[in-house]
Amino acid sequence: MSPDGGPMLKTTHGFAENMIDEQESKRSAMLELQHISHNYGAVKALRDVSLTAYKGEFLTILGESGSGKTTILRVISGLETATSAEVIAIEGANVAHVPAAHRNCTTVFQNYALFPHMSVQENVEYGLSVRGMPKADRAKRALEALEMVKLDGKADRRVSQLSGGERQRVALARAIVTQPAILLLDEPLGALDEKLRQQMQEELVRLHSRLGMTFVYITHSQEEALTMSDRIALMCNGEIVQIGTPEDLFDRPNSAFAAEFMGFENIFEGHLKEISDERVSVEVNGHGFHGRWSGHQAPLIGQKAFAAIRAERLKLEGAENHAEDNALKCSAGSTLYRGKYVDQHLQTEIGPMRARIWDRANRKSSISTVSWHPDDCVVTAP
Amino acid sequence: MNMAGIPLKSEAGKFSTGRYVAVNGWKVFAKACGIFAIALTYAPLIWLAVMSFSSRPLSGVPYPLSLEHYRALTRNPAWLEPFASSIIIGALVAIVCMILATAVGRAIPRARRPGGLVLFAIIPLFVPGMSMGAALFIAFRTVLDLKLGYWAVFFGHVVWALPFSLMMVLVIAVRFDYRLLEAAEDLGASSWRRFWDVEFPILRPGIVGAGLFGFLLSFNEILRSTFLRGTEATMPVWNWMMAASQQSQVPIIFSLATIVLFATLPILGGFFWLLFVKLDKD
Repeated sequence: MSPDGGPMLKTTHGFAENMIDEQESKRSAMLELQHISHNYGAVKALRDVSLTAYKGEFLTILGESGSGKTTILRVISGLETATSAEVIAIEGANVAHVPAAHRNCTTVFQNYALFPHMSVQENVEYGLSVRGMPKADRAKRALEALEMVKLDGKADRRVSQLSGGERQRVALARAIVTQPAILLLDEPLGALDEKLRQQMQEELVRLHSRLGMTFVYITHSQEEALTMSDRIALMCNGEIVQIGTPEDLFDRPNSAFAAEFMGFENIFEGHLKEISDERVSVEVNGHGFHGRWSGHQAPLIGQKAFAAIRAERLKLEGAENHAEDNALKCSAGSTLYRGKYVDQHLQTEIGPMRARIWDRANRKSSISTVSWHPDDCVVTAP
Repeated sequence: MNMAGIPLKSEAGKFSTGRYVAVNGWKVFAKACGIFAIALTYAPLIWLAVMSFSSRPLSGVPYPLSLEHYRALTRNPAWLEPFASSIIIGALVAIVCMILATAVGRAIPRARRPGGLVLFAIIPLFVPGMSMGAALFIAFRTVLDLKLGYWAVFFGHVVWALPFSLMMVLVIAVRFDYRLLEAAEDLGASSWRRFWDVEFPILRPGIVGAGLFGFLLSFNEILRSTFLRGTEATMPVWNWMMAASQQSQVPIIFSLATIVLFATLPILGGFFWLLFVKLDKD
């Protein structure tokens, strides 16, 4: 496996995405939400949210806790009735007034919510049993589902005898055994340790491509979202602030919030000074920087804008420089050892910055300038 | 034990030596209390069973042994009706308490302010039996002008047993994870299936416990029954009347109490075992 568990998955993911792109014209909406609002008392959990998930898509809803992502999932499943909802359509049929029990989607709950008084197999069979499927058939289907999550052989165990990772798999098997149109996953990996989480990410991706089911996946981890998704919807305060491919969100955040959430370490507020075809220029505290515009609307001269640069894109002394690079005088601050890399804090005239040093052998003892390429400088809207 | 204890003491130093002794002292004291309580409970019961076979039970000497009181029981079937009515009333109280306690016990944790409701529901536990009996007597007999009898005893027993039964259900219901019902609903279960497949099996120990307490409390009840029985008699009332009448019936009561003890104890014990040991393991 790759050291951080990411790149290997990205390959398979890229392949899946190409296939989807080819079928772009044939894509049909599996899930459609239009103008959903929900309030818990005076708290607005969802503000006029609209969202579409296509057939076979892995759609991730990414956001902090309290951003409304779990509420969306509960509204889709029917466990929560939205304060107002124009359309909640699954497979083209409006299910806004259909109770949860009759919606063609199942949920993998954050706490798994396995039935403690039933065996693993009874848990998995439950969705089939309420549909009146004969015992022999449902046992066969349950064992198939358990095999799919690599838990065959533990069918007779009690839930209390399973580890956290195994419970997670039972919850997954229980949800997919009824072959729903949409599988809803509510931070299913939240309670697992690091290594198990990465392993489960791979398995979920594999399961997704094997089943061809539409997955709607909730997480607060941008790493999880980037690794697994076809598309990501970023939520903030009950609204979807950006939706797009992992690359869109990672490279082209459309707001300062999105940039910060997607891990841009260095973000500075300024004003737009110049706009050309490819580039914009932003003025921060008297310094002009060139970058590429990624805001959610067309840029306007003089508008408030943010320049965002990832720490690993900052170049210190000794690195190869381009003529068009943005540069800034700086002095070195403290360093933070992070294992695979070292973070170097810098003091500059526009404020503190953070640079990432991967190659520790070539660390310079004195640092006086920091520079970065305009392509690595994202200029975005507030 | 001492052999192991002495070197430990000398090694452990002054301060912890004191603690070691104190803990040991507590253990001995707790053991003594436990043995005393157990003896106080079981010794009289065993003595009762032994004396029921004595030809002169009030003499305090078991010998000479005899089955004559048991024979007297079969000759004189007057106890059969009170016994049967106590069993029937107890069973009905158990069933009604199970149903009511389940319905209310499920609802209370879902209420907006469960604390006040619980308090309100269990206050009858602290109402003296004499007051409750007299109050029900006045309500039934003089206010509603009804003829008292078994039915009034039944109502009185339900009022008495219900708070206990409710507690049995509540102990389990307050820990019930409602997300399990959401999971069942999400998987397509109707509201009845959600209750029957998920909630009921998990609440079952509390519900069966509610029934057991309902039966036991009714079967043993005497204070409220004396107010509400009219001219009928339940088993405890009949026993009390026989014992109080200073007739030669007392030895029969010994035999009867022994039969009741050995009939009910294994059944209830088996129930508890099934409920808390067997089902828990499964």
